Amino acid sequence: MSDNAIEVRSLCKTFKIDYNKSVSHTAEELNDKRYSSDKIEVLNDISFDVKKGEMFGIVGRNGIGKTTLLRIIAGIYKPDSGTVKVDGSLIPLLSLGTGFDIELDAKDNIIMYGKILGFSDKEIQQKILEILRFAELEKFANVKLKKFSTGMVMRLAFTTAMQIDPDIILVDEILGVGDVAFQKKSYDAFMSFRQKKKTIVYVSQDVNSINTLCNRAMLLNKGRIESIGSPSKVVNDYLGIFEKPKESIK
Amino acid sequence: MVHETISQIWKRRSLIRTFAINDLVIRYKSSGLGVVWSLLEPLLMFGVLYVIFTNVFKSTVENYPLYLLLGIIMWSFFSRATTMGIGSIIGRAGIIKQIYFPREILPISSCVTALVMMGIEFGVFFAFVVVFQFLPPISILILPGLLFLLFCLSVGISLFLSVLNVKFRDIQSVWGVVMYAGFFISPVIYSLDTFPEELRRFLLINPVAQILEMAHNSVLYGTLPSLSSVAYTVGVTFGILILGYFTFRHYQFKMVEEL
Repeated sequence: MSDNAIEVRSLCKTFKIDYNKSVSHTAEELNDKRYSSDKIEVLNDISFDVKKGEMFGIVGRNGIGKTTLLRIIAGIYKPDSGTVKVDGSLIPLLSLGTGFDIELDAKDNIIMYGKILGFSDKEIQQKILEILRFAELEKFANVKLKKFSTGMVMRLAFTTAMQIDPDIILVDEILGVGDVAFQKKSYDAFMSFRQKKKTIVYVSQDVNSINTLCNRAMLLNKGRIESIGSPSKVVNDYLGIFEKPKESIK
Repeated sequence: MVHETISQIWKRRSLIRTFAINDLVIRYKSSGLGVVWSLLEPLLMFGVLYVIFTNVFKSTVENYPLYLLLGIIMWSFFSRATTMGIGSIIGRAGIIKQIYFPREILPISSCVTALVMMGIEFGVFFAFVVVFQFLPPISILILPGLLFLLFCLSVGISLFLSVLNVKFRDIQSVWGVVMYAGFFISPVIYSLDTFPEELRRFLLINPVAQILEMAHNSVLYGTLPSLSSVAYTVGVTFGILILGYFTFRHYQFKMVEEL
């Protein structure tokens, strides 16, 4: 375990779905064996490790189970079978909003987030200013989040997670909405995070960032790991999926 | 195991406090009168019921204004705590789906929010006590214990129904009706003393009616509750609390997927 930040073994997860009976399945769904009448096998016997200090990319088509996998690693969902071991403190940054309450202002949200993660009042108070400064949101400390733009919420979420300084961070397609200046800033933050021997699991559709940022990557397809290894190879395999002629639809 | 659970929840008390404070902030910050509403609500209700029940129905209950106000405050607490508690999981679906923390904190903190509001209202009650120059009997000392029971009962019901409410959202609609009916079949505006014994016993199956009855008797009339009604109420309360806790535990992961 000492070298690995995350160990996933034979993980399976099935979701029940209530199909509206009047809606028929698409041809692709009917051909996809993961779909049966009322459930879908999202993850089927997934095993992999993420090493400490690694930035590990995950790619795959929409709805293939990337976020589900992150939720299981974060302890939000329980797997049907298989195990996940996590060594160190972990913060998930899943999609937008990341658990903020839009009726509260930026400051109260930072406090709540810190408390959820188990920090004391004192520790959080020390960090509030720093977080607001890095996110360039000092002027908006007392503004309710519902008045924030999507990009601003994302900046606040990302910065809060980074400043709380966990051992592992799970990032799910949240950086795309930041402006160019903030993207540069967040990439720098990732790099210094990695230098501290900390671990990032990074889910993105942006294959360029997978290529440049990650040192290892994994492609999920139809419930299984289709390829794992160097980012350039994985990204190639991923792009290959889209080029394959879809016999099934004929 | 019970000890472990309590110590775990106790460790996260500062998170419970944060959620409860946030609930209060959201509730009052965007309303003009703010916290004053917490005082006006029961007072307005008291005013209306008092006029009706002293003039139209000629209530003969001794110290009726205090009797009525005490009942309204305690009933409002129970009704608010359970209503907010039942909606607490759905209300924070965003956070629950994004990050892990012990989820039982949400219904508990809703009940704490209601507890704080009841605390403010008791300030009004004791102002009434002074205005009416009423000297409470020594048996008033059991009131904190009774409020603790009512709190535990509210937490138990909130735990039990909040998790089921995710799948069956009818629960929160039905609960509104239950609370409305409950108000009229509990000794809030009237006393059970004049009721036929059988009806009285039937109405006292309800643990909230038991707690209200004990509160009225101990705070206003200097009568301590009988051992059997204490045993019954404590038993039912902790039975519901344990049932609620295990139901919550059992369904907590399934519930997240339903959100």
